[in-house]
Amino acid sequence: MAKLRDNYETSLWARFLRWMKSGSKGLERSMIRALEEEAEPSQHSEAEQLALEKAREEREMQDHERERAIQERLHLWSKTRGARLMTFAYRLAAVVICLAVIFVLLSSVSMLPEFGRSDNPANNEVAARYIEKGIEETGAVNIVGGMILNYRAFDTLGESHVLFVAACAVMMLLRLRLDKDGRPTREKLDAEADDRKYEPHNDVILQKVSSLIVPCLLLFGIYVVFNGHLSAGGGFSGGAIMGAALILYVNAHGLTRAGRQPLFGFKVFKYITFGALAFYSLAKGYSFFMGANHLDSHIPLGTPGNILSAELILPLNIAVGAVVAWTMYSFYVLFRKGDF
Amino acid sequence: MMAWIQFIVGASLISAGVVVLALSVLGVFRFNYVLNRMHAAAMGDTLGILLVLGGLIVFSGFTFLSLKLLLTIIMLWLTSPVSSHLIGRLEVHINERLNEHVREVKH
Repeated sequence: MAKLRDNYETSLWARFLRWMKSGSKGLERSMIRALEEEAEPSQHSEAEQLALEKAREEREMQDHERERAIQERLHLWSKTRGARLMTFAYRLAAVVICLAVIFVLLSSVSMLPEFGRSDNPANNEVAARYIEKGIEETGAVNIVGGMILNYRAFDTLGESHVLFVAACAVMMLLRLRLDKDGRPTREKLDAEADDRKYEPHNDVILQKVSSLIVPCLLLFGIYVVFNGHLSAGGGFSGGAIMGAALILYVNAHGLTRAGRQPLFGFKVFKYITFGALAFYSLAKGYSFFMGANHLDSHIPLGTPGNILSAELILPLNIAVGAVVAWTMYSFYVLFRKGDF
Repeated sequence: MMAWIQFIVGASLISAGVVVLALSVLGVFRFNYVLNRMHAAAMGDTLGILLVLGGLIVFSGFTFLSLKLLLTIIMLWLTSPVSSHLIGRLEVHINERLNEHVREVKH
């Protein structure tokens, strides 16, 4: 305790406070006192020093006892009256918050238009247009796919950038870097030791089953991504499946073994996410300058139902899937070890 | 006649699966220790799912749908025991007072 206080008294903040209180004089005084204290031992004789030590010890004991008394009183208070008060306040707050939320929700429900009426705002001409002319205009049999990657492609552009920004933020907060000389820091070494110790990457059962399942999962994810414009699915769901496959592989075989393959490295993550997002932005970024209007890309639509149809939807699905898969994987690795 | 047999077999399979699932839920709530609970939960994850999906396969006959259901069974039978195994392993590794709940059997 005393040590903490000493540190505090010489800290920048305390000196700043003292300076605020008493101008530069206080700072000078404290500096002089510090100098005196440094010079003290040589000035006093041994007996005086002993007496000083004793006095300080006594003072520390007194401090300690006072602190303990305060803590005991606090403890008692929390056990008896405080506990009852806190429980009461807690329950009261819970009830009040619940009632408030119920009131807000019910009042907003009562303001909703009646369900299923033909003149509701949800039943406007936009939905009818999507259903009637969706296949003709976008070439996508899956109307949802045509909607999110053609009519509303700028919306999906924002969504994939949200994923990218989230990955960047997690990396800024959690990534353990090398130090200036290119050697790993102590935190990084600790994290790697922890990883080796606690993660089950030498589990034979998991390894065998994952080597059976991971290829199937990757294949299924690729199928979902590539059929985004033909059947239910698309970039987000297929990317999630592929990300799960990557995570399962790393979980089973450990990062040291998986890290030797380029697919699981940081470089691939960097290039794939950046490349996919740059492609998407180049392809659909014009929406922001055109007021979300369509610009003809001069790519033939093809026959609806073929894999190679629906102009840009297939490549955009692939870009979104890659971003989602590698973002999920990078989250997992960063939260587990702090580095690739 | 065939349809009746199909219906009876499928319905009895599904109801048996539901009974197994209910028993496993009961076990999860009744047992006190992680490993015991896992024993109960794993029963529902494998046998219950097998019976319910088997009933559905009987209902749908020889179609593409039953092939998909078969794939689902294979997938669940591959993954769920592995996850149970990992949870059990973690419990055995981490719990310092394992001896209060578990007795080691020497061969």
